[in-house]
Amino acid sequence: MKDKNEIDATGPRRDGDHHQEDRRLFLKQSLAMTGLTLTPFSFFNAEPDSYSVLAGNADRVDLSLTINGVKRRLSVDPRTTLLDLVREQLGLTGTKKGCDLGQCGACTVHVDGQRVLSCLSFAVMQQGRKITTIEGLSNGASLHPMQEAFIKHDGFQCGYCTPGQLMSAVSCIREGHANSEAEIREYMSGNLCRCGAYPNIVKAILAVKTSGQSV
Amino acid sequence: MKPFHYLRPTTVKDAINALASAPNARFIAGGTNLIDLMKRGLVAPEKLVDINSLPLKKIEQKAGFVRIGALALNSSVADHTIIAAKHPLLAQALKAGASGQLRNMATMGGNLLQRTRCPYFYDTAFPCNKRNPGSGCSALEGINRLHAIFGFSEKTGPPTCIAVNPSDLNVALSALDATVVVQNTQGERRIPFADFHRLPGDRPDRDTTLEAGELIVAVDIPDAPFARNVHYFKVRDRASYAFGLVSVAAALDLDNNRIKTARLALGGVAHKPWRLFEAEKMLVGQPVSETAFRQAAEVAMRDAKAFEHNAYKLKLAPNSIRQALTLAAGIS
Amino acid sequence: MANAHQNPAEPHPSLDRVDGRLKVTGAATYSAEYPFENLAHAVLITSTIAKGRIRTIDAKAAETAPGVLAVLSHMNSPGVPAYGSVKLPAERAPVGTAFRVFYDEFIYFSGQPVAMVVANTPEQARHAASLVHVDYESEKHQTDFEANLSKAAVATSVQRNKTSPFQDYDRGNPDAIYTAEVKIEATYTIPTQHHQPLEPHAIIAVWEADDKLTVYDKNQGVKSAQGNLAQAFKLPRENVKVNSKFIGGAFGSGIRVWPHTVAAVLAAQKVNRPVKLVLGRELMFTSVGYRPFTVQKIAIGATKDGQFTAITHEGTGQTSTYEEHLERTILATRAMYVCPNVSTRYRLLNLDVNTPTWMRGPGDATGMFALESALDELAFALSIDPLELRLRNHADSDPERHLPWSAKSLKDCYRIGAEQFGWKNRILEPQTMKADGMLVGYGMASSLYGFHRHPSKAKAVLLADGSVVVQSATMDIGPGTGTAMTQIAATMLGVNPKKIRFDLGDSGLPDAPGQNGSSTIPSVGSAVHAVCKALKIKLLTLAVAIPGSGFADVRPEDVTVKNGRLFPSADSSPGIAYTDILKHHKLTQVEVTEESKPGAERDQYSMYSFGCHFVEVHVSPVTGEVRVKRVVTCADVGKIINYKTARSQSIGGVVGGIGMALMEESAMDHRYGRYVTTDFASYHIPVHADIPQIDVFFVDQPDPYVNPIGSKGLGEIAIVGVAAAVANAVFHATGKRIRQLPITPDKLL
Ligand SMILES: Cc1cc2nc3c(=O)[nH]c(=O)nc-3n(C[C@H](O)[C@H](O)[C@H](O)COP(=O)(O)OP(=O)(O)OC[C@H]3O[C@@H](n4cnc5c(N)ncnc54)[C@H](O)[C@@H]3O)c2cc1C
Ligand code: FES
Ligand code: FES
Repeated sequence: MKDKNEIDATGPRRDGDHHQEDRRLFLKQSLAMTGLTLTPFSFFNAEPDSYSVLAGNADRVDLSLTINGVKRRLSVDPRTTLLDLVREQLGLTGTKKGCDLGQCGACTVHVDGQRVLSCLSFAVMQQGRKITTIEGLSNGASLHPMQEAFIKHDGFQCGYCTPGQLMSAVSCIREGHANSEAEIREYMSGNLCRCGAYPNIVKAILAVKTSGQSV
Repeated sequence: MKPFHYLRPTTVKDAINALASAPNARFIAGGTNLIDLMKRGLVAPEKLVDINSLPLKKIEQKAGFVRIGALALNSSVADHTIIAAKHPLLAQALKAGASGQLRNMATMGGNLLQRTRCPYFYDTAFPCNKRNPGSGCSALEGINRLHAIFGFSEKTGPPTCIAVNPSDLNVALSALDATVVVQNTQGERRIPFADFHRLPGDRPDRDTTLEAGELIVAVDIPDAPFARNVHYFKVRDRASYAFGLVSVAAALDLDNNRIKTARLALGGVAHKPWRLFEAEKMLVGQPVSETAFRQAAEVAMRDAKAFEHNAYKLKLAPNSIRQALTLAAGIS
Repeated sequence: MANAHQNPAEPHPSLDRVDGRLKVTGAATYSAEYPFENLAHAVLITSTIAKGRIRTIDAKAAETAPGVLAVLSHMNSPGVPAYGSVKLPAERAPVGTAFRVFYDEFIYFSGQPVAMVVANTPEQARHAASLVHVDYESEKHQTDFEANLSKAAVATSVQRNKTSPFQDYDRGNPDAIYTAEVKIEATYTIPTQHHQPLEPHAIIAVWEADDKLTVYDKNQGVKSAQGNLAQAFKLPRENVKVNSKFIGGAFGSGIRVWPHTVAAVLAAQKVNRPVKLVLGRELMFTSVGYRPFTVQKIAIGATKDGQFTAITHEGTGQTSTYEEHLERTILATRAMYVCPNVSTRYRLLNLDVNTPTWMRGPGDATGMFALESALDELAFALSIDPLELRLRNHADSDPERHLPWSAKSLKDCYRIGAEQFGWKNRILEPQTMKADGMLVGYGMASSLYGFHRHPSKAKAVLLADGSVVVQSATMDIGPGTGTAMTQIAATMLGVNPKKIRFDLGDSGLPDAPGQNGSSTIPSVGSAVHAVCKALKIKLLTLAVAIPGSGFADVRPEDVTVKNGRLFPSADSSPGIAYTDILKHHKLTQVEVTEESKPGAERDQYSMYSFGCHFVEVHVSPVTGEVRVKRVVTCADVGKIINYKTARSQSIGGVVGGIGMALMEESAMDHRYGRYVTTDFASYHIPVHADIPQIDVFFVDQPDPYVNPIGSKGLGEIAIVGVAAAVANAVFHATGKRIRQLPITPDKLL
């Protein structure tokens, strides 16, 4: 039942080692993309001749982007959000889906170093960009100072909002908005936590900020 | 979500052309409103034209005005030195909206065009004139706590739509007399802000006077002496990350203690940002005083009319006007 | 941590969460996150009418859309064996029937699942769902609680059960209220509120064979989910596996197996592939229960010096037309304060809505909002300090059951809370305190929650390297179960917590109750305690058998443990390493399983957790906006196992209570019987900016009678009473008594 086009992009993969370009995925996808060229041009996708293409299979678009330092060349359904790309297709499930409508912050990732909501952006719009998800926040075995601080200050309970809180917390400091508890609260308000870990999160951010560690 | 074709032009001309021939095509900028609407099936473009590669991100001082590119991010505008120095009201309004993440995505142009947050508009199980003209306005006799107190006409029957424009930015731009710069296949068009957003009238489905296929390229804000005595005051159900119940953009130009010019606009009260020309006029020449502010608030509320659940706005709006003016004037 | 030093009783630094690293790196795997070859994606289609029947379902366009594998509905469902076949002519389900998904054409509530699309990708499934057209025949529905209040009645299940606690209750003279020296009477309304855990409910259903089912499911009890699914699909219990290792919050929404779970299992059967279903946020308003809309009328009579003489408490809650959901709403009133004459009534109102369920502090959070608000009203009427009024009516023993409390340090809570908060600075008269143009209010309320302990099993395995694996089919929806259990085991066995692994969230593990009713620490903690004790004794037996080990004639109670070693008594050395005991006996491991259950103590003592909350609010006289500025909360829940996670749980309860008090309301348009607040932009829960410093204190005295570890539950008591404390503070600030939650700006203008 499943058509060939779809297997590659939806096939489940857990990302163990993502420090190398994943050739297996790339090759499989290249095969599946017969007929699509990889050359960049002003109109990324050729104009359809008619809407018959639309009525059939969802069109697929080439996409190359860097995720957690790994360059990836993919072929995606244009309807796929950045969030669904990382969670459903790349197995990077650390980024969470809480609402899918930009109303909770659980899906926060960094795009070119800026925090954004991955549920409100199509993956195809990320052409050439550098994405950092929670899996890429720390390098290697040691935790990012913000991750350490969240553990120390118990900045979570169920942990579901946590990746989003962490990505946002790092940005909050980078953006220069972590100078007081009140400022942190305001600039972290885009990240809901139903368990109510807020006071501990604020403490964690303030601790990292005042420690002067680079984030 | 219906499948669509995705294009990413790099020139304004290509972008406009891409829409010209396709009635069911859309521009996408930050995507923070459009993708929401697409997910809920309220908008189903067959062609999506990603305008993020267009060179429309600049914020510059021009002769007599500041030009903000349509693709300048809400966060870039809010933090920009020119804006901080010349139009702090704009920065305040932007920072009062959405969240850090959303402001990093939302663009000037997209923010102008964001749709209402009326729940009846979003849920297709309810009738809604804005979504489906002629089906009726569910809010009228439904849950209308968040709805309009101004700008719906009852001349030819019940109001067609009592949804409000949710944007904070729009309220500030209205007060600052901005101009929306638009390009279409014929060339450029300049739309004064007061004419950009519409009242529902007999076309509640149309929020603005932007024509299909037109691209917003910039917003111009004329130079004005509102660098200091300004305040954006927003009231909401929780402390942050919520749309306003009522908001006020207030800007004063003071000569000693006398008001030379005043600008006032309300958000959360009408289908468009609600500029208070009468109240502004009333303030000019008056000394900064509680009395003057109270009078202005009274004038502002003259035509207000409430529905079952939003009568509180009849009190909240004038209170907020007074408070915004007081804070703008720097008296407490 | 600032708070760490505030609590002198804190014995030693708390263990960090054992799963902290997994959670901060994104490596913790929640239900929707298990990878499967061949995974199919499902999307639910739900009814847009509140009552009636499905006339037709036109799924043609959907079925032929790209990637679609199946469109499932009552017309083609493989069927749930336990449902039986539909009788003809079909009839609406009578009260007492759990909802049967894709069973027949009847519609019981707006948002009811009517069909489901399964496709290769989520995008395809969502699009195809939009192509399914359902045609309904509507009937007149009733969803408006207040308009139908007169139809409320004693639940049929209560009528049948003469010993039900929800029977009408009269202690003393029911007419005493009419002759009270001073009397207040008021009606309090709590709207429907939703749990809305940040992780939406989700399931991956996998049929491993025709009679073998595995689900990765968001729920609060793997064992009950296993039992329910086995029963529904008529499978041997052991053929059903439920895996729920990480749960992104639940607060009660995961106590039951809901229709969507069954639907996903049906879909997996239909397409013969693993199927994943993740509820959209809007479906979280109609798929997994809620705190029911409740109206309560309370009257308190007292002497002029504030001694209660009579209390009447009538509560009516909403339920569906097909099930009766009862909760403790009026029960706390019988036990909380000393009062000779107490009457309670509990009624249910059946409406065309989905069935409510337990939500954090079920019943008591609702009931105590009313009772503790009413007390504040009485205190004002009498010009008595609200805390003083509570002290004057403190119950030294259980006035309902006439039993001694197993332990109660509520007075200590009051004292600690009041001191830390600075309650003495409160001016009695409302509307007198101001700061920065804001009206300042101080409010407080008491809190209680019944003690629950259920039979639980745990297994402990000591391995040759000295590490220990402890297992129980308990859950962690957020409180830090694994951390607390690790800490109990570490203390009991004298083993470094790093060498202990605690497994939970898997139906294959030893029996444990679901995580609800604040019962996990009391129940599973006791089992872990018991199994570690048993392991210690087993090790002693093994040590005794080692010649010259020095353990001959040593009594089990004298044995001490430290650093992975067993000692014959507290002051003897050098003892023997566990690893050496195993080595000597050539064992690769030592394993024990123990069960721990409550006993006769429940009939000898009345068991509750107690606590109190102190809140400062600032209210804008211009806008009516309320901001909570400070909270001090103090609880007596017996012995604290882990201060860090306990404190977080208390904070979380207070945050939930602030949401309940100030912003949470699921508003329904009764013309359609449909909610209009179905996302996080319209159903507000608190954000960072709403939450101030929250200081948490514990009495931390073991309760000698409840269980071997002396701990009572904390999850519920943390929220019970918070909404009243906030409302009381708002009254103190503004002079306005808001009896209908939430306290939004419009109500204060
Ligand atoms: C949870 C949440 C909370 C929010 N809170 C607030 C708030 O408190 N205050 C507030 O003001 N806003 C708020 N917003 C709204 C947010 O500001 C808007 O979604 C955003 O500004 C839209 O900008 P965008 O670039 O993402 O637009 P898009 O979503 O990309 O586009 C919106 C519309 O504009 C059209 N469009 C975009 N750019 C152009 C152009 N240059 N020319 C012509 N057409 C164009 C698109 O076709 C589309 O129809 C909130 C949003 C969310 C999701
Ligand atoms: S999932 Fe993106 S903001 Fe909630
Ligand atoms: S930790 Fe559970 S939602 Fe934040």
